[in-house]
Amino acid sequence: MTSKRITLGHLYPDLMSTYGDRGNVETIVHRCGWRGIAADVIELGLGDRIRADEMDLIVIGSGGEAQQAVIAYDLAMIKGPGIREAVQQGAAALAVGTGYELFGHFCQPGDGLELPGAGLFDAWTVRRHSALGGHYETPTEARADRAIGELLVRWGDALLAGFENHSGGTYLGPTAQPLGEVICGYGNCGDGREGVRLGNAVGTNLRGPCLPKNPLLADFLIRAALARRHGAADLLPLSDELEQAAHQAAVRRARRPVRGLASRASIVLDRSVRRPKWATAPRRRSVRLRDGQGQRPDGLAANGARAKGHPVVPEGNAER
Amino acid sequence: VLTGWHGEAGLAPLEDDLERAAHDGAADWAMRMQPPPPSSAHRVQGQATAAKTTHAAAVNSWPRNGRCDRHQTTRGITNPACSRQAFGKSFFGRSNWQSPSGRLQLLSATERGLVPAARCALAVSMGKAVRSGARRLGRGNGSSLPGAVALAIDPSALAELAAQIPHGSVLVTGSNGKGTTCRMLAEVMRAAGLHPVLNHEGSNQLPGLTATLVARSRLTGRLPADERAIGLFEVDEGSLPAILPQVARPRAVVITNIFRDQVDRYLEPDFVTRMLERVLRKLPAETTLVLNADDPRLAYLAAELKNPRLYFGIADTAHSRAGPDRSSDSPRCPRCGGELSYQCVFYAQLGHWRCGGCGLSRPAPQVEAAKVELLGAVSSRLQVTSPAGEMVLGVPFPGLYNAYNALGAVATAIGCQLPDAACPAIEQCTPGSYRMERVAVAEHDVYLVLAKNANGFTEVIRSLLADGQPKRMMLGLNDCAGKQPDTSWIWDADFHALRGLVPVAVVSGNRSADLAVRLKYAVGSPGAGAATELTVEPDPVRAFHLALETTPAGEPLWVVSTSIVLRQLRRWLRRQGYAGQPWREQPGAAL
Repeated sequence: MTSKRITLGHLYPDLMSTYGDRGNVETIVHRCGWRGIAADVIELGLGDRIRADEMDLIVIGSGGEAQQAVIAYDLAMIKGPGIREAVQQGAAALAVGTGYELFGHFCQPGDGLELPGAGLFDAWTVRRHSALGGHYETPTEARADRAIGELLVRWGDALLAGFENHSGGTYLGPTAQPLGEVICGYGNCGDGREGVRLGNAVGTNLRGPCLPKNPLLADFLIRAALARRHGAADLLPLSDELEQAAHQAAVRRARRPVRGLASRASIVLDRSVRRPKWATAPRRRSVRLRDGQGQRPDGLAANGARAKGHPVVPEGNAER
Repeated sequence: VLTGWHGEAGLAPLEDDLERAAHDGAADWAMRMQPPPPSSAHRVQGQATAAKTTHAAAVNSWPRNGRCDRHQTTRGITNPACSRQAFGKSFFGRSNWQSPSGRLQLLSATERGLVPAARCALAVSMGKAVRSGARRLGRGNGSSLPGAVALAIDPSALAELAAQIPHGSVLVTGSNGKGTTCRMLAEVMRAAGLHPVLNHEGSNQLPGLTATLVARSRLTGRLPADERAIGLFEVDEGSLPAILPQVARPRAVVITNIFRDQVDRYLEPDFVTRMLERVLRKLPAETTLVLNADDPRLAYLAAELKNPRLYFGIADTAHSRAGPDRSSDSPRCPRCGGELSYQCVFYAQLGHWRCGGCGLSRPAPQVEAAKVELLGAVSSRLQVTSPAGEMVLGVPFPGLYNAYNALGAVATAIGCQLPDAACPAIEQCTPGSYRMERVAVAEHDVYLVLAKNANGFTEVIRSLLADGQPKRMMLGLNDCAGKQPDTSWIWDADFHALRGLVPVAVVSGNRSADLAVRLKYAVGSPGAGAATELTVEPDPVRAFHLALETTPAGEPLWVVSTSIVLRQLRRWLRRQGYAGQPWREQPGAAL
């Protein structure tokens, strides 16, 4: 007999799931199910409104830039008020990747119009160039302006491990609390902070399925959703050996320096892979956004390196 | 009827084209790039030299936009000749590609000067030396390092070598199925009396492709004279911008499909689509585009181009589903960006689509499978209608995804004017490494099946379990030493199909922990149907032993995995004498 029941609103499951984001919803549903809690998933597409008192947990995944532009106005105008109200009432929320970017005030995609956000978090996102705007000819060039790699975050006493892959820098406003502190990786905008936390709402750059590998975060969201629906909530412990093993493996991967003959050889062979200089492999992954520190919230490069004609090294001659 | 691209039939129309273009006034580049009037030596030598000159013209005629791409460096795109020019200037005083008058010409080796010819020869010979060294040391099969060495010495080595193939080249690219399409097409070409020059599977980036030709070439930097050679290159979709400028006048460019694949490397599928579109816009006008009509991302790719287009697709809706798979990323209408509605979906986003907004719909394919019969986990039969008439094709591989590969191969064969009678040769196609490759170990048949992205896993598992019989499986997942670290796509692969049909699964690879969690959530817990018992063993060989132990004698074992687990396992199988050298078993590949 299941007595407890929570409602999960999954925003744009078809559009915003490029990075395996359905894994997050699946994780929550199963972890509830194993504890005898029923989790109803409501899929919310374009045009659907959110009834704030109905939602216990709102999840949005990470889509591409084109999909971001498709949903932005719908998210800001139609769903935004409902989301803000639900979170204010204590509902939990998880926003990942480009969904996280749109949960802030706005997202400036580099080229073209600024996209309005849901306005839940006091944060905004600025991208140097849109990946789809024709600025980048090859994936190699586009990757050079992205933060791609393992991301390790200190979240209270715990660690969150996962993968980040984003070209936007997300800047937190004065009232925003970061989710955690970056140990390895890039995080929000290279300032050592990662994600944002507002009540029970969490925004993070840990792209794709971050909950399976971080069962603590999953249980935090479930507990918050249960507390909103049923008052105080205790969660039964689950046997998490496989999850813990995956978490530990992710932590090791994030901390592993890029060293060793094999990786060196592959750097020589495959120049399309951008790596830290292998001669001086740092213990922490290097920051991969170009001029990341020079970025200002208004999106202008402080040193204007790109604008003045960045000396571009042709792809094949990178080593010369 | 076989018409050679650069044979005697091809030569005259080519020059006519140039004249006409000049009269139009729109393309003065064509005149500029015409080879110089033939010297007396040329005239004496006759046909062979004329053909050579045509190749030279072909190499030079890459840019179509009125300017020469060799002089303009678009950001990051390595135009080999450009970097070569810069290189040539600094090292050899004079540009290799310019005559003293400054006119762009590509001349024969002697006219160009001995230095560049020697440079290419040096590049080739060093590449060959590296290749034999690598093989002797047993460090890989030398499938890409020789190419890297050759390109380091002569950045235009590939352009130079590819231009020597008399029948031109066919490029096959796309997310999934390009290797199998290539193998099928190779059989068709062989049946048509041509000698396809294939690159090794997986060596589909610039160095790998160069290595293929280096291995074939003589030490002088010339390919052996073979009037019937035709290039057939599998090209990594991310490498197409680098490779296409080097392959002069491709006869056909085949794009099988665009799926989400290695998001950390190629980014999102829309980015790949736009990148391919930009690249295609630079194609010569006579190159045939062979496209999958059922893929909304591909059907109207660079729709304004005048290039001949050949579409292939499936008409038979017997094996279709109602909606697109979760891994398809819901592509939008290529014209208006509206939402697409599907009459039926074959897999991922491939199906009979139509835009609800502007009414754009799937183009009618010229090469279409009127009837598809899936014959279990091993093969299928297709009834194909094409401009040449109807034919029945036996496809020696299972699943709808291989039906698409066969259709792509037939469409390309028709686009290249190969005789239709050659098409049934697809039946003789042997599986590539890890593509349903059978290895006999003790009393078991072991099948090695490659699945490298969400659609691959979904389709492979679906076609393997289509007969409803329980199967023993080993599943693997790995990244290449930090090179493709994002494995989040496993959460979009449909592992639920395993439930009830795979009682025991061994999970292996350096990312086995991630895959085990995924399987736990999909099939590892009690639910409808029996749960799958999971064993995690990162080492592929040990996992293989575990899997064999649990498999009853006489039953086959299916190893479904990403490439490195399979490679490590296969290396072990080879050392134990169960399997041969993978590169020795590739028909047509350069040995």
